[in-house]
This record gives sequence, structure tokens and C-alpha cells, in this order.
Amino acid sequence: MKKRWFPVVMMGLVVAIAFTGCKTKRKRGGLNDNVGGVVGSELDIYGDPLGARPLDGSMQEFANQFMPVYFEYDSSSVGPSERVKVEEVASYMRSNPTMDIIVEGHCDERGSREYNMALGERRALAVRAYLIGLGIDGGRIQTKSYGEENPASMTHDEDGWAQNRRSEFVLFY
Amino acid sequence: MIGKMTRYVFGLLLVTGLSAVHAQVRVTKSAGEKSTIDLSGLEVTGAGGQLFYQTLERDLLRSGWFTPVRGAGEFRILGSATADGRDVKAEVRVYRTGDQRSMMGKAYREQVANADRLAHRAADDIVEALTGHKGMASTRLAMVGTLSGKKEVYLSDADGGHMLQLTRDNSVSIAPKWGPLGDKLIYTSFLKKFPDVYLIDVASGSRDRIANYPGLNTGADISPNGQDVALILSKDGNPELYVKNLASGQLTRLTRSVRAAEASPSWSPDGSQIVYVSDQSGRPQLYTISRSGGQPRRLTTRGTENVSPDWGANGKIAYAGKFGPQYQICVIDPRTGEINQITRESADYEDPSWAPDGRHIAATRTQNYRSSIYILDTMGDRPVPLMRFEIKGDWFSPAWSPK
Repeated sequence: MKKRWFPVVMMGLVVAIAFTGCKTKRKRGGLNDNVGGVVGSELDIYGDPLGARPLDGSMQEFANQFMPVYFEYDSSSVGPSERVKVEEVASYMRSNPTMDIIVEGHCDERGSREYNMALGERRALAVRAYLIGLGIDGGRIQTKSYGEENPASMTHDEDGWAQNRRSEFVLFY
Repeated sequence: MIGKMTRYVFGLLLVTGLSAVHAQVRVTKSAGEKSTIDLSGLEVTGAGGQLFYQTLERDLLRSGWFTPVRGAGEFRILGSATADGRDVKAEVRVYRTGDQRSMMGKAYREQVANADRLAHRAADDIVEALTGHKGMASTRLAMVGTLSGKKEVYLSDADGGHMLQLTRDNSVSIAPKWGPLGDKLIYTSFLKKFPDVYLIDVASGSRDRIANYPGLNTGADISPNGQDVALILSKDGNPELYVKNLASGQLTRLTRSVRAAEASPSWSPDGSQIVYVSDQSGRPQLYTISRSGGQPRRLTTRGTENVSPDWGANGKIAYAGKFGPQYQICVIDPRTGEINQITRESADYEDPSWAPDGRHIAATRTQNYRSSIYILDTMGDRPVPLMRFEIKGDWFSPAWSPK
């Protein structure tokens, strides 16, 4: 049942992606100046409108293909030790142009749930900006904040919190 | 199915002809002082009558204005609560003991199973007749609970009774808020994989998705006139505060802070302003902004963190402030900047929501990483748990209905 639909869905997606590609215009030429590995000031990375969402329920998702990116407490900066993980994702996306990605943003349990939704989104957007800086089209990158709602570790200590302040990558097509 | 029950409760309220002759004399006492009220003259029979009596006694205590007694008091309740077929009917008269002055008198009728809700109505009528203040016993709360293993929205009466599960999204529900008429709830759900904003009609359970832009859609709060929604969206590349008109769908962006995250908007009672959280100073603090945009005004300057504002109908803003490692509930008057700290305990209190009586606040209390809902009193009574017995799971993000 599923298999029969597969070619049809794939054809549709290829067409959709092709069109998305045509429509996407990077006003500032993306953030390609940052390919050297250093993301510019925050003014440069936030404020870039997001691409349209995939249709509800139409995606095949693949989680846990890449290492999560970890963050400092109350910070949404991609630290030097974490950048190689984003570079690995960028490299995969370059060689697999039909795969798009959801960058999830997560927080530890400290702080208000609503504020953590915004902080989680800032983390996902920072990773997205870094991917764009590495030459990946922003139209291929969705962001999704879970705030503090989906912890990776259930322990309530510094180790657990450090594991929960993260971005995860979910591939989809 | 929820609505049918609710309508039955309100539909059968009867008012006796006695009302007209009651004196307009009211209890005038300073904050925290309570009047004794004697319930021993209330005759009850049957299970419905018993439930009515116990509920009325507890509601009067929880109102904060009275100390219920079973013997001589400053006020005396006379009347009865008796079974009548499948219904319980109650008649309640209140006298001031000193001069035998009649303060109020009403008759009520309700299904036996809802005898407690009938008592809630009576309690609110007594509070209003004797103090001039609105009660909150017959209002409801929405909250998020993990009873099912997922985070769903639940509803309960103001005393924790008649708990029911409203959503079955089987995902994550965040921050329910009531519309101004108390008939709708707005909340964030991952029902369709991404965080979107949904509006639920409480009686029918039908829902509309009102924001599913790319990125984050959350923090929604309905304006006092019911026409607009303040919410947080990241579609333009950063979490910012917007207002969306429900009829036209038109969006107005209020903040432009690409260096900062915004969260938790709450409307002023007249709908002209919005209080919200922004971390543009480096830490999350409260700001106010005109509903049409312009320059934000920083409201809180003290403390490392001030979050989760709820702008009450009384004009005051309840919020959670961080004191050392812990969150405590505070109330700020935005006109004067005067701050009152409401909780001082070795537990975290977060997510405040004003009761429509303008006196009480529902909040999440977290201790040893377990959360439950507590009712706080801004006039000094100790916090009390919403639920009278423990229900499995964590309970948080309470929202008190406006009526």
C-alpha cells in the first residue's frame, strides 16, 4: 500500500522542491560570507524569513541520523565545539538534495515553559543560520521548538540539563 | 457534552421575591480580617443535601472573606437543602446576627450529582451580598496535565471538582488561555507535528487552527473584546510579538528585536496594551507595548528574571519573579510600579492566572520536580491545593476562567 504511493509522492515532492527553489530569493545573498565557520553577529543570523512548511502529515521523517548540537545555559549560540556537527549535516544535505531537514530546538526544564518555547526556537534558528552560512538553501530547513517539553534526559541535575539544551536534526522528504 | 451539563446548572437557578428587601449593608473589614458565618441553621437531608452543605462551607472558607462556624457567628445562614426526586433543592437566607437584618435570600435547584455546583452559586451569591466583592466558587480552571502520559488540556471547577479531559491530541499541549466570555480556550498544540495555535469551543469541543506559520506559533492570548489574538511567531526569522485579527486574519507585528526572544503576551483589561516577556536586556523581563506597536516600556527592573505575566481585570499584573534559584509569584501595579510578593516558600511558584474575584491567583507549585496547581490569596491566606485529593501526574499552566 505504502510502496505504491511512493513514486507518486516522490514525483510530487521533486516538482514542489523545484518550484520552491525557483521562488527562493536570498535577499542578502544568504550568509555565505560565514562559510569560514564563524557565524556573524546575531543581527545577521535572525530576521531571515522562514520558508513555507511541508504539508501536514505528508512527510517521511528520519530522526537520530546526526549528533545533537548542545548549548550553554540560557544561550542560543552555536559554540565552537558544536560546529563540526552542523558541518556534517550540511555536507549530507549537499550530497542528498532531495532531503530536507527540521532543526529542533530544546531547553532544560528551568525557566518558564512559554519563554523556553521562544528560546528553543532561537536555538533552532541559530543552527539554521549556520547551515545557510554553509551554503544550504534556507527553504530546505524548517525549525521546530519543543521548549522544555521533550527532554532527552529525565535527571534533574547539571548533566541532565546539559543534555537537554540541544538542537536535534530530523531529515524528511 | 460538557455544555449540556453546564447549561443545566445555570438554567435552573431561581431567585426568590425576597431579594428586593435586603439591606445594602456590607461587611467592611480590613484586609485579611474575616467574618464568622454560622451554617448550623441550614437543614440538610440526603446525599445531595450533605454535598451542598459541605461544599458551601468549604467555598465560604476558600472565598477568603469568612470563617464558617457551626454555632454563634456574625452572620447566620438559615434554610434547607433537600432531595426532590432526582434533584436537590436549596433555599438559603442570610441574616446579620446583631440586628437580625436580612442580607440575602435565594432558592436553587439542580441535579443531585451537581449539588456541589449549586453550592458554588450560593457561595458566590453570599460573598457578593455580604462583601460587595465577586466570588470565584462557580468559575472554572483550564490546565495542562500529564495523567494520560501526554500533555493534554483539562478543565475543573474552582474547587478542583468535575475534572475532565478536554483535548486528546496525544502530543504536547501548552499554555491554555480563556477567551473573554469563558466559552473558548486558545492554546498551543503539536497535534500536526509543529507548534500551532488552536482555538477550542469548550461546549462543543470543535476547534480552529488559527496560526500555523513556518516556525514557532505560541503564547496566544485573546483580547478583551474577543476580536484579536496576541501571539508569538518566528515566521520572519525570530520570535516576535504579533496581533492577529480573528475575523480578517490580518497580522500586525509589534516588536522588532532580532537580538531577543519575546514570549507570554497578556492583554490589559481595556485592550489598549499588552504586557509580555523579552530578553533584550540579556535576561527575561516584563515589558508593555501599545496594541498598535511603537516603543516598548520596560516594566520590571529588579531580579534576574521576571516571566509569565497575567494582566488581571483589576489592572494589576501577576507574574513569576526569580529569587535566588526559585520562582515566586508577585503582583505589580503598572501605574505605580509597586510590587507585592505573594509567595515566600521553599517551592517554585510559576504561571500565575488571576481569578475573576481579583483576589485569588492560580499558579503552578513545583517541589522536588513534581508540579500541581495551588490557589494563592493576595490578601494573606495560605496557598491551598486546587485538588482535594492527589491525581496521578503533573499539573501546571492553570488558566482561570473570566466568569
